[in-house]
Amino acid sequence: MSNLLKKDWFGLGLVIILGSIIISFFKPAFVSPFNLYVLMLSVSLMLVVAMSQMIIIAIGQMNLSVGAIGGLVAISFTGLMEVYDLSILPAMFIGLGIGIICGFINGYITVKTGISAFIITLATLYIFKGMNLGITEAQPFYEIPEAVKYFGNAKIFGPIPYLIIIPVIITFLMWVLMNRTSLGRYMLAYGNNVQSSELMGISSTKIVVYAHIISGLLAAIGGMLVVCRLQLGTPNIGDSWLLPSFAAPVIGGAILAGGKVDVIATAFGVILVAIISQTLVIFKIDPFFVQIFLGFMILIAVFINRYREYREERRNKVFSNE
Amino acid sequence: MSKNILELANVTKNFPGVKALDDANFRLKKGSIHALLGENGAGKSTMIKIITGVYKQDFGDLIINYNKKSFSSPNEANKSGISVVHQERNLIRRFSVGENLMLNNLPKNNLGLIDYDQVAEQSQKWLDIMDLDINPNTIVSELTVAKMQLCEIAKALSLESKILLLDEPTSSLSPQDTKNLFSLLKRLVKEQDVSIVFVSHKLEEVFEICDEVTVLRDGKNACESENIKNLDRQKLVKLMIGRDEQIIKSKENKNTLNENLLELININTDLGHKEISLSLKKGEILGLYGLVGAGRTELIKCLLGLDKIISGKLILNKEEIIIHSPQQALEKFKIGYISEDRKKEGLILMHDVLTNSGITVWSKLKKILYFLNNSIIYNHVDPYVKKLEVKTPSYKQLVSNLSGGNQQKISVAKWLASGTDILFIDEPTVGIDIKTKAYLHELIINLSKNGTSIILITSDMPEMIGLADRIITMKDFKVVGETVNNHNYDDMSASIMANIHE
Amino acid sequence: MKNKIPDFVKTNQFGLLLLVIVFILLFTFTTDGFSSRFNIYALSRVVAIDIMIGLAMMVVILTGGLNLSLGALGVSAAMFGGWCMESMGIPISISIVLILIFGSFLGWINGYVTVKTGVHSFIVTLATMSIYFGFMTLLTEAEAFRKLPEAFTDFGSMKLFKKYISPLLLLSILTCFILYYLFKFTDLGRKLIAAGANPDAAELSGISVSRMFIYCHMLSGFLAAVAGIMLTARIGAAIPSMAGHLGFDWLLPAFLAPVIGGTLLSGGKVTVFGTMLGAILVTLINNGLYLIDVGEFWVRFFLGLILLFAVLLDRAREYFTSKNSIVS
Repeated sequence: MSNLLKKDWFGLGLVIILGSIIISFFKPAFVSPFNLYVLMLSVSLMLVVAMSQMIIIAIGQMNLSVGAIGGLVAISFTGLMEVYDLSILPAMFIGLGIGIICGFINGYITVKTGISAFIITLATLYIFKGMNLGITEAQPFYEIPEAVKYFGNAKIFGPIPYLIIIPVIITFLMWVLMNRTSLGRYMLAYGNNVQSSELMGISSTKIVVYAHIISGLLAAIGGMLVVCRLQLGTPNIGDSWLLPSFAAPVIGGAILAGGKVDVIATAFGVILVAIISQTLVIFKIDPFFVQIFLGFMILIAVFINRYREYREERRNKVFSNE
Repeated sequence: MSKNILELANVTKNFPGVKALDDANFRLKKGSIHALLGENGAGKSTMIKIITGVYKQDFGDLIINYNKKSFSSPNEANKSGISVVHQERNLIRRFSVGENLMLNNLPKNNLGLIDYDQVAEQSQKWLDIMDLDINPNTIVSELTVAKMQLCEIAKALSLESKILLLDEPTSSLSPQDTKNLFSLLKRLVKEQDVSIVFVSHKLEEVFEICDEVTVLRDGKNACESENIKNLDRQKLVKLMIGRDEQIIKSKENKNTLNENLLELININTDLGHKEISLSLKKGEILGLYGLVGAGRTELIKCLLGLDKIISGKLILNKEEIIIHSPQQALEKFKIGYISEDRKKEGLILMHDVLTNSGITVWSKLKKILYFLNNSIIYNHVDPYVKKLEVKTPSYKQLVSNLSGGNQQKISVAKWLASGTDILFIDEPTVGIDIKTKAYLHELIINLSKNGTSIILITSDMPEMIGLADRIITMKDFKVVGETVNNHNYDDMSASIMANIHE
Repeated sequence: MKNKIPDFVKTNQFGLLLLVIVFILLFTFTTDGFSSRFNIYALSRVVAIDIMIGLAMMVVILTGGLNLSLGALGVSAAMFGGWCMESMGIPISISIVLILIFGSFLGWINGYVTVKTGVHSFIVTLATMSIYFGFMTLLTEAEAFRKLPEAFTDFGSMKLFKKYISPLLLLSILTCFILYYLFKFTDLGRKLIAAGANPDAAELSGISVSRMFIYCHMLSGFLAAVAGIMLTARIGAAIPSMAGHLGFDWLLPAFLAPVIGGTLLSGGKVTVFGTMLGAILVTLINNGLYLIDVGEFWVRFFLGLILLFAVLLDRAREYFTSKNSIVS
């Protein structure tokens, strides 16, 4: 039990359950099938985006270009199908490939130059976004195959959308990656302590490049999922991803200095953000409040994480003088 | 005779302005515990860094098992079986003990995923060898420092390291922990076929567990791989300190009847200082002696308001004061601090000489509307920079391009320029050439003659005995003794040592 | 070195100045319309604001941090100004003072939270960006203020020097001189730089580093508010979307100008005129790209490339200068 309490996701899970009960008590519409369906859709999309940022936070960096990669892949995916008449699978694989290449560029430049990932991904943000706009001239692609539309909007049963399948699988795989594979553990080790991980013979280049590639890949998947959902490929897909991509991991207890991320807690962070946004809508509160709320939640989460870190440090200090 | 597992032959290493190692030798016999001794700045850490692949020597050879080696990174040294045991530095704090031990070779199940049961089981083996009662699933950050250190050793063993370097391993351990560590080290040498390089300031420890001793002094061998049985404590101290070239013009003991300027009464701090009481008289040099980790620098930082004083009184000129920040210390109470770490805390390396030497006086010199230009600063600091004979092509020179000695002169000059009444001077001559060192000694004496009160922290015993009027000895964040300095080296060193070792 | 080259020739700024001149000549002779009165006037209005935005970012980069909320903050301040002037009918001069106080206050929030939590300013300003922008849209209901006093909007469309130059540019250049004075000739400016260069050493030398960092963020808010006012005057209205969603459109020029100008991202160095020249260069290239007809959508792509190129160049310069200093 005490072990459970220590987990980042436990408190969040509790908040989610209690919050949902309270909200549905005041507004039974909250648990209506339609609302649950909408909730699950938004969770599905943001899960992938949050994971894409989380893996970069794990190595102690940040990726501003997550949305730009998602957008570029989204329009490439739809453009290939509309303009070049490619079928779904090849278009999808090319889309994934673009995500991987974008991620590789981010990671490779960052690790080889030693320049902060912030500025590199800011530059690539504009490069990818510029390519997006240059290709589309700001016009959406509308001709999407029916199968894609169906996947984005049909339900498996009850309120559960097909769309949720991929994010759930990804979340599971990410959990495996971060908890059960050497690569994931090395990423965390690198984020924790670059020096000692290098001392152990862990290659920085490999770790950073892989993390960015996975981030790019996930952003690509996120972009294509949005296409399924919207039934069109607009150039502004990904524009609003930045904030929620940081919000969920940080709410999930991730420390931006690196080395500490929790996949389940991040997923719960996504759910929490989605519930709150949805609740504000149900209570007919101005949608701009969502923005403000998100900002405050990040600040509060940062405060809490910081406080916990501080407490841990103090505990160690006291110990060492005994 | 047993074989040499590690050898440094005629190694020289230069840094800008300093010869850190000068034709130094070192031979570690297989299955022995070898003490590497020397004062701060004698070249120990440079030698360790060469052995562990952080630095590359300019001349000479590094020989392991009779093969010449050249490491380009610490990882390569690691692969050749050399591990440094730091305190808590090489562990991934958020990982479990077991995972840390097995990180290079995490056991996998059939699916290629990490098998944590196996991790625990396999790491348990190394913990057992060390007789360590730690659950391998414990997260490292939850361990005590002593246990972290033992985990580091376990990790080194798990990497099949045959040479362990222990750098001041006991500095933050309790006597009981130290005892356990030593019996473990002895057992490892016997049973696990490892050889150990042991670096420590505590001579009694050296006599307790080491077989051989190498002493460095100013980058040269004061003795090389000497059997410990041929030495006694006094000989060893003499080897470390050398004394011949370090005769400091002893200072006349001034009238200690001067009144107290600064007084600490039963100070307890957030960092763990217990009931610290001491007083500093006007124009006096008060020495604070102690081993690494005795809490001297930490005490000063608490006095400057960087860490909290929990209880006790701080009295300046008979008035009780509270210092919230170094800014207040400087501007309101005229107290300054010359840091021991001039690169990190003393200087702004990326800025020029003028900026660095004037930083403490900007507030004082500013004119109306905060106006302050270079020539105002120049006029004020130039006399001090000249007085200290700082060698720099111009005031525009970046401090990072100066030699260590000149850098130190600048970090002293800025405090001279600030005209403080009280100066805390922390290890002023570490890593500094002899000429500058002598110069700084003279300067400190003159300062006190002119009425500045000084608290001097130094681990350099002759320096302490040469300069201080009174010497306070600290240990484990407590004051353990106070002696009026009679400037007789043998008397004083004996009494200080007696204080430290009860 | 015997034949003495003046110091300024060796500086980054001088190289930038040459580049600016080269580009001006290039565009003058290869494109139609670059040197037209209309184009130069338009350029002067654009560059004025980009300089201000660049300076606003520069003063935070000085601390080794950054300010993502810059655009949101600037627009919030501008909208606040619109509200003061249009809805409340407060006189222009008082409104402007209020706007500047408001901007500094938002900057203070950024600085205070950053210093108190010890978290990197990136995440703090990411959050405040969302908060400022959210409140702004909420309170204005995403409506613009379009009936600003004429005296105010006239200033934005005023033409000086035979109608070649906007007074906005003069304002920006004046700001550069004031900042240059601050950093070069005042006690406060020196302390700001020292605190950014090595916080530990600065603190132990008697500088209150947290206060300096808060000042930097306040100054950033102040300058962003000035940029907001200038943009409002230029457009003739205060529009919530004038810096894009969350004010993100300002971020690229905000980073481009100081980085090209030679400001170190790790802090401790400012180049006021470098930032100015950086902003001019970016505006020139931007303008040139339009004139040679790359298509407006590709402009962003090229600016991203330029930023990437600039940081790589910066890194290379650092690498070589550090080599030099070891030799000398």
